[in-house]
Order: sequence, then structure tokens, then C-alpha cells
Amino acid sequence: MANHVKIALILTTVMVVIGVILAGVYLMTYTPIVKADLNAKFEAIKFVLTDQTTGQLLVNQDEIPKTIDQLNAKIWKSNSSGVLYSNPKLPGYVLSPAYLFKGKDGSNIYVLTGYGIGFGGRVVTVASFIQQSDGKFFENAIDVIDFANETPGLGAKINDPDVRSRFFDIPNSGFKDGIRVNKDADLFPLPSNYKSEIPTYKKEGIVVTSDVMTGATITPRSVANTLNAMYEFLEKEVK
Amino acid sequence: MANQNGETNLAVLTAGWIKQNPTFVQVLGMCPVLAVSTSAENALGMGLATLGVLAISNLFISFVRNIIPNEIRIPVYISIIAAFVTMVNLLMHGYTYSLWVSLGIYIPLIVVNCVPLGRAEAFASKHGPWKSFLDGLGMGIGFLGAIMLIGITRELFDAGTIFGYHIWSSAYNVFVVALPPGAFLVIGLYMGLFRYIGKMRSQKKVQGDESK
Repeated sequence: MANHVKIALILTTVMVVIGVILAGVYLMTYTPIVKADLNAKFEAIKFVLTDQTTGQLLVNQDEIPKTIDQLNAKIWKSNSSGVLYSNPKLPGYVLSPAYLFKGKDGSNIYVLTGYGIGFGGRVVTVASFIQQSDGKFFENAIDVIDFANETPGLGAKINDPDVRSRFFDIPNSGFKDGIRVNKDADLFPLPSNYKSEIPTYKKEGIVVTSDVMTGATITPRSVANTLNAMYEFLEKEVK
Repeated sequence: MANQNGETNLAVLTAGWIKQNPTFVQVLGMCPVLAVSTSAENALGMGLATLGVLAISNLFISFVRNIIPNEIRIPVYISIIAAFVTMVNLLMHGYTYSLWVSLGIYIPLIVVNCVPLGRAEAFASKHGPWKSFLDGLGMGIGFLGAIMLIGITRELFDAGTIFGYHIWSSAYNVFVVALPPGAFLVIGLYMGLFRYIGKMRSQKKVQGDESK
């Protein structure tokens, strides 16, 4: 009995000491972590507010937030739960807050953050949707800001430029029945002329990823689910 | 200075570099080596993180080795290693964000990497703090060297670059080295090369002794 108590006391002491040390390191790194996450968000917002064909900003330079106050001024919708919209069937989630920017041409540009479930957990994506003159939404660009639990060399390639670009410039027609990766749309193996057909596939809601992300379907599927949830949210809230 | 086992500090420090290299000789901790060595930058990040955890956890485990009962030594060792891995994870999140995102789940997984626990059990639990620290440092350097060698090779043959710097044309690129089978191929080839070099050196030594 005495031995068991001794062991329990030693284990408790070790855990308490480790806990105190970790708490200290957590407090020390809290501010740098918040800053790093915020910088990643600023960069992602600037990226999705850029026309990926011309490289020009879709908004005036002074519209790009550089501080937390400037970012907060762009909040369009938010709630205290942290989730603005969810579709558990996909599953896809839109996180609070959602931002609204005015384009150079006067159009509304919605910048949303959301996540789907990848191979190792949440895959967080920032995306911009331009509301065109006919009221329909055009998905401009995405930036995947958190894929820390995806497998390096496989799912973690989701934010590589050649993979990410496959999710750019998806018109309203693509979201009619929801976008899907090409494996889920029975477009596999790919035909020999698939590269020239990628814009056509996007109009049909098919995102070709199997050639640039070999051996990883779950991660791009989670991004597709996120974009579908974002589109459903905009359809519900804007129209 | 030699200890009671006749091991000098230099011998302890250098044991993990080649003779007992954790990757090429002991074949330990292969999961992160295979998964993260897709580029030189990732390999450097993972190698340095593992080196830090190995050296510091070995030091602390050696300090507490005499007060920890034998029955609970493994949970305590794992807890100490997990604490240092958590610290490394927090520091990388705050100060090297893009590398932290690239390495992903493999930073927390250093906890279950065989190398830190293996050295804790095999060395730090039986030796003093200074020697244990040197052992962790030496093994960490060996692990860093091995993963860097594999990372540089894979990046060079996949993208034609090293640390992002262009080395040769994409015409020489071998796509398979970036894939999981490519990691096995590269590691296998290096293991074969090192064994061949070791064998040649032993033969030369024997021939030299005979000629004397």
C-alpha cells in the first residue's frame, strides 16, 4: 500500500512540475502564436482578394487590412458560437466572422473562412466570392491556412500553388449541385486532353486534383466541402 | 575523460554520427524520416526539433533517474519527452509558422519516435546528466545528418532544387523520389552505400594489419 502511495505521489509531482513548466512556456509563446496566426490570416485575405489571372488586387490597396481594428471594420456577419453555418452532411462549416469588401468595380466581395474534415482533422480554408451584377457568385480564389494535421508529401500539398489553383475561378454553375473532386465525379483516369478542359470541368463543378495530389483525395475533398458550405451560406444569407 | 564503462565524452558524442546512426544503422524513428524528408527545409526543421528534444529530454531523464521507481520509469520518461515536444511545438507555432504548418502532425509525433524513448531507456537511465546530454546531442546530430541527406536528395531529384535554390533543369527530375516509395528507395540506397563503405574500410584495415 505504502509503495502504491509513493508511486502515486511521485507521478503526481512529476505531472505537476511538467504542467507548471508547460503553462509558463504557453504564456511565453501565446502572443507570438496569436501574431503568427493573425499574419497568416492577413496574408490569406490579401491573397484571395487578388485576381489570380492578372495578379492585380480586386480592391483598393487601402482596403487590405493590416491591423486587427481594420480587419474588424470589414466584418459582415459574426456570432458568438464561432460557426456561422454548418452542413453536417458534407461536412462543411463556415466560421465566424465573415468579411465584406468593396471591389474596385463596386461589386461585393465576400471573404469567408471555413473548414472541412481532412485526413487528420480540420482543414481551414479562406475563400473569396465575388457577387456579380446578376447577383450570382463567382468563387475567385482560396488559401488553405491550416492543414497542420495532413500528411506531409500527400495531403499537406493542398496549399501548393499548382494544387490550390485548381480551386480558383469556379463560376456559379459549378456550385449548382456542389463542387466535387474529379475522383468523386467519376472522372478518373483523366482523359489525355484534360488540362485544356479544366475550365469546362469547373463550370460543371468538377475540380481536377488527382494529377497534382497523387494518393490524397480526402484533403481536397474537405476543401470542396468547405467551399460548398460557403456557397450555401451565401445563397441563404445574401439572397 | 573516460567513465566507468571506458567511454570518453568524445566517443559518446560521436557514437550516433555514423557507427550507431539512428536512421541508417539502428533504423529507428523511420516514420518521420520517410514522411517529412520531402524537402531539405522540412528535413532541417524536423531534424533540429528532434535534436533539441533528444538532448534536453536525455539530460532531464538522467537527473531524475535515481528518484523514479522502476515500475513507472516509462510513463515518466514519456511525459518528460512529451513536455519538451509540446514546448518545441509551441515555439515553432509562434516563431517559425510556415515550417510549423509544413511539418504538421510530425512535430507532436516526436513523442512516439523511437529515438528519444530508446535513448532514454538505453542510455540516460544508466548514465550521468553530462554524458546523457552528449549522447542525446550526438544521436540528434546523427538523426539530423541522415534526414538532411535524404531530404536534400529527394528535393534535388524531385524539383531540381536544394532549399529552394535552383540546381539543375527539370529534365533530370525523378518524380518517384517525392512519393512514399521514393523515400524507401533513397534510404535503401544510402544504407547500401554506407554498408559498402564500412565493408571496404574493414577489409583495408585487415589487409593493413596482415601486411604489418
